[in-house]
Amino acid sequence: MKIDLANPAWQQTLPPARSVATDAPVAACAFNRDGSTVAFALGDGCVRLLPADIKQAAPEATAPLHKGVALSLVGDPAGDGFVSGGDDGRVLRLAADGTATELLAQKGKWIEHLVAHKTGAVAASAGKSMFLFRDGEVREFGPHPSTVAGLDFSKDGSRVACAHYGGITVWSLSKEVVLPPRRFAWQGSHVALRWSTDGKFIATGTQENDIHVWRVAQATDMRMQGYPAKVKSLSWTADARFLYTSSQPVFTAWPFSGKGPEGKPPLQFGDEGAGLMTVVAAHPTAEFVAGGYDSGELQLGDIRTRRSVVLKMADGAAITCLAWSPDGFRLAVGNDRGDLLTIDLRR
Amino acid sequence: MASPQTSAQVPVTVLTGYLGAGKTTLLNRILSEQHGKKYAVIVNEFGELGIDNDLVVNADEEVFEMNNGCICCTVRGDLIRIIEGLMKRKDKFDGILVETTGLADPGPVAQTFFTDDDVKARTRLDAIVTVIDAKHFFGQLEQGSEAEQQVAFADVILLNKTDLVSADELKKVEDRIRGINRYARIHRTEKSRIELDAILDKGAFDLGRILEFEPDFLHSGHDHKHEDEVRSLSITADRPVDPDKFQKWMGALLQIKGGDIFRSKGILAIDGAPRRYVYQGVHMMMDSDWGTPWKDGEKRSSKLVFIGRNLDADNLQRGFDECLK
Repeated sequence: MKIDLANPAWQQTLPPARSVATDAPVAACAFNRDGSTVAFALGDGCVRLLPADIKQAAPEATAPLHKGVALSLVGDPAGDGFVSGGDDGRVLRLAADGTATELLAQKGKWIEHLVAHKTGAVAASAGKSMFLFRDGEVREFGPHPSTVAGLDFSKDGSRVACAHYGGITVWSLSKEVVLPPRRFAWQGSHVALRWSTDGKFIATGTQENDIHVWRVAQATDMRMQGYPAKVKSLSWTADARFLYTSSQPVFTAWPFSGKGPEGKPPLQFGDEGAGLMTVVAAHPTAEFVAGGYDSGELQLGDIRTRRSVVLKMADGAAITCLAWSPDGFRLAVGNDRGDLLTIDLRR
Repeated sequence: MASPQTSAQVPVTVLTGYLGAGKTTLLNRILSEQHGKKYAVIVNEFGELGIDNDLVVNADEEVFEMNNGCICCTVRGDLIRIIEGLMKRKDKFDGILVETTGLADPGPVAQTFFTDDDVKARTRLDAIVTVIDAKHFFGQLEQGSEAEQQVAFADVILLNKTDLVSADELKKVEDRIRGINRYARIHRTEKSRIELDAILDKGAFDLGRILEFEPDFLHSGHDHKHEDEVRSLSITADRPVDPDKFQKWMGALLQIKGGDIFRSKGILAIDGAPRRYVYQGVHMMMDSDWGTPWKDGEKRSSKLVFIGRNLDADNLQRGFDECLK
């Protein structure tokens, strides 16, 4: 990586970017498996595809996939395209050539969350259930006590954790060894979930402005309070040493190496003037982190130096989604006005 | 509402009422009328209603307790998610209609609009509309507390099926409703037939518009009520309110009595402020904002309305008087 936040050139100029304006709020964005294409899920039900290389001419590629809103999107871990979910209750596989195949149709349910694992599996939330798509098969897990409001794979892809009211449920996905689901209880409504990149911790954001973290092996837990708003975006660093959270004016990272975060304040850094952070995304390999604000500003931070630079100025439209390319050189950004942004960080 | 902030917020109308009172008929009337407006409709019984609208969304009635130790503070988690999802739509709409099931307590629905930051930023509770079956109202009161609560929470009441009862019976039903909630506007209807501007976009938050309709106090004859019965009362003041003292008093009051106070509303003349200060609350949760400016020479008086159980008018008035300059 040639990212050097201490370099004056980095601090003073915005990086090269491609911006495409649409008129539908962006619900989700993602890169495909090889990082060649970036996709945005839009509030008119379409998924818009663009070449990840911002210098490459962009052919018009808009797939009208869902009736209503395209709510969720991931790169297809088993192909060259994407998997999308909509408020029409459908999960679709979108191939690189633009053809769509229906994986699931649940009338009256919204597909709000999708996660993918490099083994090729995809999990989707649909009402109180979680659906797993793997090797051409669909399996249903649930029902949970309430609507699944967040989900994630374990590091090795053998389990999926689902957030709901009253705690989380961890499902073993093995068909050979059938294990009962494990329930980790904590009162309240859990509205976001991320399993740590080393598999040891599961973090949730709650309706009541705090976050909760379980140690998976010991089933012990911890709670971090003091947020001014619901924490809807959580992101673990590649080395699992830090958990970044949204919903503060600055980058907020809880340390999980050594003795862990208990009794310690989080590390906080970055420019405070940008409003409240709505989305946070740790870099896939390096120690950088991207944060999008409700003001529309986008910052890149470096936890080693506690420096941050602005990648996109505030323009009033709240950032709704962020995604790093697999190689970590490009960043996709969407906002609630419908701007699709791809930033190239190589200089 | 004069506040610039509220103009961007989508108005939400909550429809409540006992099973069979006529909610679905009303909903279909609202949707089929040629008003050129687009409504999103959130219902609990998906698919059985035959509602003809692209924007009908199914809710699960997921009632979540808030973790503040207070039993009355609950919200609807499904509503929060649905409203967040609706806001991602390209095609915007003019309003949201939430139909609650006939046996539901409207409290958690209403509280959702006061509690969740995202919901508060995007929507405003415009009015709670309760449909009442004139013929079966007394029977429903005996079956449990739901019918009484639905009246207590209401900003607007449709006294429906008036063609099925005598004038005398109707008067008795109306008196009983007034005994519970004398601040809701009552419309007598048959088959839920009503002008839409009587129920939609009422600006319940701008209490001034509701208090215009405040019925006279002579209606009552209900002074011999039991303490635990649900009823409504108002207290007033002619001197300006000290905002700090008021905040302290109201905070303490709702902390102690919030479970018994279903609705509270107020217009305050804050000492030195050019605009009305308006608030509405559900149980312990409340929301407030600056309202319309006082006109030159207009008498600046404050008024608080409480609807709930075990309300002590003298005590409330004494507490309020201590908040005055």
